[in-house]
Amino acid sequence: MSPRRVLRIARWEAGRNVGTIDRRTAILLACTLLVIALVTPALVLSAPTPGEGVYRVAVDDANPYHAPVAATDRLSAVPPGANAVERGRADVAVVGTSGFVVADSAKGRAALATLRSATEAYNDRLMATEDDVAAAFPVTVDVSYVERGTRVSGSGGGTASDAGDGTGTATDNGGTTADDDTTADSGATTGDGTGTTTAAGSAASAGTAAPRVSGDASAPANTPGGLTPPFPLESLLLAFVFVLPLNVVIQSYGSSVLDERIDRRGEPLLVSPATRADIVAGKTLPYLAAAALVTVPIAYAVGAGVASVLAVFLLAGLFLAVTFLGALFARSYKELTFVTVTVTVVLMAYAFVPAVFTEVHPIAAISPLSVVVRDIRGDPFQLGGFLLATVPVATAALVCYGLGLGVYREEDLFTQKRLPAKALDALAAPLTSVRRVGLLTVALVPFVLIAELFAVAALFVVPPDIAVPLVLALVAIIEEVAKSVHVYAGFRNARFARSTRTALALGLASGVGFFLGEKLLLLTRLVGLSDLTVGGAAFGNAALGAGSLALLAAPLVLHVVTASVSALGARRSARGYAIALAGAILLHLGYNYTVVTTVG
Amino acid sequence: MPAARTNVLSVSSLHKTYGDVEAVRGIDFEVADGEVFGLVGPNGAGKTTTLKTLAGLLEPTSGEVVVNGYDAGDPEMRRTLGFLPEESPLYEDMTPRSYLRFFADLYDVDRETADERIAAALDRLDLDARDRPVGDFSKGMKRKVAIARSLVNDPDVLVYDEPASGLDPTTTNVVIEFTRDLAARGKTIVFSAHDLHHVESVCDRVAIVSEGTVAAKGTLDEIQAEHGRVEYRVFTDVEIPGAERLDADRGDGVRYRMRVDSMAAVEDVRERATEAGGNVVDIRTRESTLEDVFLAVTGGRA
Repeated sequence: MSPRRVLRIARWEAGRNVGTIDRRTAILLACTLLVIALVTPALVLSAPTPGEGVYRVAVDDANPYHAPVAATDRLSAVPPGANAVERGRADVAVVGTSGFVVADSAKGRAALATLRSATEAYNDRLMATEDDVAAAFPVTVDVSYVERGTRVSGSGGGTASDAGDGTGTATDNGGTTADDDTTADSGATTGDGTGTTTAAGSAASAGTAAPRVSGDASAPANTPGGLTPPFPLESLLLAFVFVLPLNVVIQSYGSSVLDERIDRRGEPLLVSPATRADIVAGKTLPYLAAAALVTVPIAYAVGAGVASVLAVFLLAGLFLAVTFLGALFARSYKELTFVTVTVTVVLMAYAFVPAVFTEVHPIAAISPLSVVVRDIRGDPFQLGGFLLATVPVATAALVCYGLGLGVYREEDLFTQKRLPAKALDALAAPLTSVRRVGLLTVALVPFVLIAELFAVAALFVVPPDIAVPLVLALVAIIEEVAKSVHVYAGFRNARFARSTRTALALGLASGVGFFLGEKLLLLTRLVGLSDLTVGGAAFGNAALGAGSLALLAAPLVLHVVTASVSALGARRSARGYAIALAGAILLHLGYNYTVVTTVG
Repeated sequence: MPAARTNVLSVSSLHKTYGDVEAVRGIDFEVADGEVFGLVGPNGAGKTTTLKTLAGLLEPTSGEVVVNGYDAGDPEMRRTLGFLPEESPLYEDMTPRSYLRFFADLYDVDRETADERIAAALDRLDLDARDRPVGDFSKGMKRKVAIARSLVNDPDVLVYDEPASGLDPTTTNVVIEFTRDLAARGKTIVFSAHDLHHVESVCDRVAIVSEGTVAAKGTLDEIQAEHGRVEYRVFTDVEIPGAERLDADRGDGVRYRMRVDSMAAVEDVRERATEAGGNVVDIRTRESTLEDVFLAVTGGRA
């Protein structure tokens, strides 16, 4: 590859694009970028919280409850007045220092629960400022003697065992992460909390403690208002801001690649001393630079670090790589639109759906955006999570470019074959020997990983009884297709003799290649993804081969046998391949089921 | 052709298949330095595939293609070659000047030299509009820009696929004259054409390609000698068996015509006319044109 030619082509590509954008489009693009530039810092500063001020509390400024209300996002203070609740101006009205009027509705009850937890959190914060911690947080222990073997109910809702080991089942606060303003009732309070605690709270700076709110303190706090959203909305919005401008970039990139193919415009470039790699790199560079120009300033604006920028940059690389491949396969701008929309939707879903569960669930680690979210929230950097989020994405992007380069030549670039036929041509192009079949299988493993991670992400919310069989089936389909589709492409494009011996050799190469390549799936262990029920179903096979020498041969034999079955069908015809592939999938499914049910 | 000339281009046992279609089935030819070599043949004969293989655009399924000592797939070979495809694929938003400068840059031609070459080529091709977008151009003007592009690296070998295809007569003449001019400057040119008149007027040697193979090859004289024929038309004033009666009476009586292909046959006609009491009154000869040879060799396909 000649850097000088790459840069020359890149300069030409950038110049052409700038020259072809009309004034109206340029203004529209500038406005979009301006809006993003203005909205992003505003989002960071405002830190939007869903449900902010959703519960109205009628409380006087001088009332001790006013401070907890003012300090809580979900509560908003409204002026007290006659019949504030009855008139619908408030959900809860504070009467004096101990009385409450609550609207007779679910929202009213939720408002009261929120006020209660807000008050306790407020009081705890005040207490924390006291020098005498023991006085501020006195520990009360009730001791009662019981005979061994007698089960008694614990006061905190848990059950004490006869051994008295204290293992109760703590009431989970909505199953969410601990939130600053959410206090789990530790059981330290006595009774139902109806008393009007007048804790000292004399710290001048902290103000006066609010009395406890009457009501059932042990009632679960997972009311709508009490629920913290399970995802970091503001961080996700910011992450979205990263990816949104990428759509403009990939649309432009896809059009440019297709433009080379329309009327054979790219033919003279292929005759020039520039190599295919020079041409592709030169044409891609401006768009990669545009992606960097979009992501880096935003990253710095929102306080994200190098890891975030790198993660999003690699995601942008995958967007571009898949668009490149799609633009090589599309026969028209209409098909290109279909391709780019599909690319956008699938990759956005892959990036965003798991990232919603950042800090909640290990599934989030598969998305590069989870790195951004964690970074913005100030969480410590995790190498395992970073690798899982970026390695499959980066390698998949490289493989896409590799496959694309294989068909970036006259006889493939300008033909008007259907999209699947072109995809098969791309897969067949690098197959010049049996060994290359194995290597291509290894190269396809990142796509397998992405597809399986996506399947796990889509199904982890489904009950395990349904999700596990579905995941097992999907994994079998994905892996068997990945092991055989290029073998079929090789036979179809006359790369290999259609003999049984050749088919078996290709099956062996592909099976071994997959066995070695699937060790990439061990990345899932770094973040505990394989510990999930559905994660174990999807990735248990890779771990099995790595963890147990005795069982090492089992997945190897499976992959070689099923790949050989598919190859034997592929050497005959498309129909033969389809039938053999179905058989291989069933074999794989049976194996997976056996592993899950016996090995666990 | 002088024997001292060295071959700068050779094609040996070239085969090219597209899937199940065998487009080229063993083509062989050589082109000497400074020679103008024409490839003619019906549509689908394999001419364009052969030319694209020469330009390094297509990889041979088997066989060998060597240009200027380089294998045709070698990127270094491309520095020494100028290729003009059948169509004129241009970036329509670019001006001729910027387009040609871009390609000159890819060939590592410095700006000053590039500008000189661009100006010289466009002058000779009579293209004045050099700073307007190519998208505004007629087909002929685009063709001229494409021809100029093939010359920005001052190549030794030019491979032109149908250089005058689809152009109006005036532009066609400009292009053909320009090709002659290039040949006069010592460029080695391989080009294909449908118009056999152009081939006859420009080429030193010709290969007639039919169904992926070379059906005839050599100078025009050699091809005509090998594949052409001389037709003798013998006119008599008496009817003899096999003769054709001519309807047109030109005032000198009824005439009969016999078509034969050798002097011996002419002598035979003369004897039979004498026996019938008449005479041979006229003998005319007609040599095969390249078109006749082409039609004969290709079985009349075009």
